[in-house]
Amino acid sequence: MRAPTRPALRAAVPAAPAGPAVAVSLVVAGTGMGAVLLTSVGLLPLFGQPELTAAGWRQVAADLGPGVVESLRLALASTALAVVMGLLLALVLLDAAVLAPRRAALLRSALVAVLLVPHLVGASAMGLLLEDRGVAARTLGSGLGTGLGIGPGDWPALVAGDVPTAVVLTFAWKESAFIALVVVAALAPGHSARRDAARSLGAGTVAWWRWGVAPAALPSALAGGLVAMVFTLGNYEVAWLLGRAAPEPLPVLSVRLFRSLDLLDRPAAAAAVLTTAGLALTAVALTLLLLPRLVGPLLGDLHTSPAPRGRR
Amino acid sequence: MNRSPRALPGRRALLDRPAPPNRPAPPGPVGVLGALGVVWLVLPLIPLLLWGATDRWSLRAPLPQDWGTDGWEQALRDGALAAAGRSLLLGAAVAAIAVPLGLAAGRVLAWGLTGSPRRLLTILLAPLLLPPVGIAMGLDVVILRIGVPAPVAVTAVLVLFALPYTTAVAATGYTRVTPQWHDQARALGASPRQAHRWVVRPAMRRSLLLATGLAFLVGWSDYAVTLLLGGGRTLTLPILLGASAAGTGNENTTAALALMTVLLPATGLTLTLAIRRLAATLSLRHAGAT
Repeated sequence: MRAPTRPALRAAVPAAPAGPAVAVSLVVAGTGMGAVLLTSVGLLPLFGQPELTAAGWRQVAADLGPGVVESLRLALASTALAVVMGLLLALVLLDAAVLAPRRAALLRSALVAVLLVPHLVGASAMGLLLEDRGVAARTLGSGLGTGLGIGPGDWPALVAGDVPTAVVLTFAWKESAFIALVVVAALAPGHSARRDAARSLGAGTVAWWRWGVAPAALPSALAGGLVAMVFTLGNYEVAWLLGRAAPEPLPVLSVRLFRSLDLLDRPAAAAAVLTTAGLALTAVALTLLLLPRLVGPLLGDLHTSPAPRGRR
Repeated sequence: MNRSPRALPGRRALLDRPAPPNRPAPPGPVGVLGALGVVWLVLPLIPLLLWGATDRWSLRAPLPQDWGTDGWEQALRDGALAAAGRSLLLGAAVAAIAVPLGLAAGRVLAWGLTGSPRRLLTILLAPLLLPPVGIAMGLDVVILRIGVPAPVAVTAVLVLFALPYTTAVAATGYTRVTPQWHDQARALGASPRQAHRWVVRPAMRRSLLLATGLAFLVGWSDYAVTLLLGGGRTLTLPILLGASAAGTGNENTTAALALMTVLLPATGLTLTLAIRRLAATLSLRHAGAT
């Protein structure tokens, strides 16, 4: 029997072009996470014989609880601030596009610029701004000629302090731009007409935002916030650079153990990173269970595609 | 005065009343909040600009005493140019693989070529839920055992994390460029390949550019995956920046490396947009002349 030709295969399986992307996702993610799982229970040691054991989990057990708390503290605080700031930026941008297009263009450019800044650059910049030798401390510490300068040693520990100010501000700064653009993309079509209708009904700016825009913007803002929170839970470099030494958030704990000179720490590192993944998946599952309306903004409306199934 | 909808007058009164002028209107809170928004977005970047142009800045001075390029010179001595070249290669490799894969998957999603689009989308978006350091740690053991070079493994992991972006951008583009475009070209006598080349591909150019830019940035700006899988031997620009930012007393070098990390892709983006605008202007002139 002749093997089917490539066009014939394409006609028979219209979704075949997505195959390579699916294969990459499943193979790379599956191999990576599978290997981590096996490493955590001793079945994929770097050297020596595989042996099913919970030694890695036991080794890191005492650090997992504080790590989970620290990770959640950073993620929840920064996501909450990012959603508020992102929502405000989106509301302003949507209305500015109608009222003051030049200002809107400036704001949009600033949002895109922040989105394009890597997290590591953002963390470095926030460190240079907020640390005790940073630009804020130098500028405000000098008093700017008013004689009200902050004395040496009086600058609050915004970087690596007990209150994770710099970490939270870095994530909130970066993710607020992302959330604002998500909300703008969701609400921009027809925004001007809806605004005109609200104004003709007598709504002022605040009433329009409160009753006209915020309810429509909230699902996409929260969906963007969920994506941001999951990203924050798994991010390493920001908390490593700006966070306190102990307790460590889970990604920092896992990378420290992974890069330890003692190779026997690898199973403990794998256990910590599996806990990170479990935390992120639980956060998503719980949020979608409590707020099922977020599924639409997260997955889009691609199921209502314009073409009938089976084309090409 | 702002009023809630509950306090609005009756429908007849509203219909009889002339609509208030909508444009131009004073920006009011929009203007003030917009200015604050720009401050929120721009303020954290100011230290990079200040430190990037500083040679000496004593602790109690509000502004630098000596301006200069010491930080940039030190960054170049640390190997920033070679590191930028490696980052460029990594970004290009990630884009070269992730964009075609994302375009194909995006077309399947947007044109309804699969019976279970949500399942497909969930598979392609799932990597966003996983910690990049986790996948890198797992693959590290595997590549050591089967002898895969570290740069290949780094690229594979970064392609995985670029795919959700390229797929989403392509799906959005293909939602706009429906299959009917292709069908109409076929009806006019084009072969499937010609229809794709002359009709679909030009209409998808903007999405293609955006997807390429995003995938490139995933590779260009990665830190954690390169650090773990590269074992510190793959010196990209973010790896140099991370090492510098973790130290003290080298603020101007850190700022120079951070600015390089941001400015090189920004310059590329600006050049691409300028070339596109120039090409569009030239093609309009050409169309006018003929």
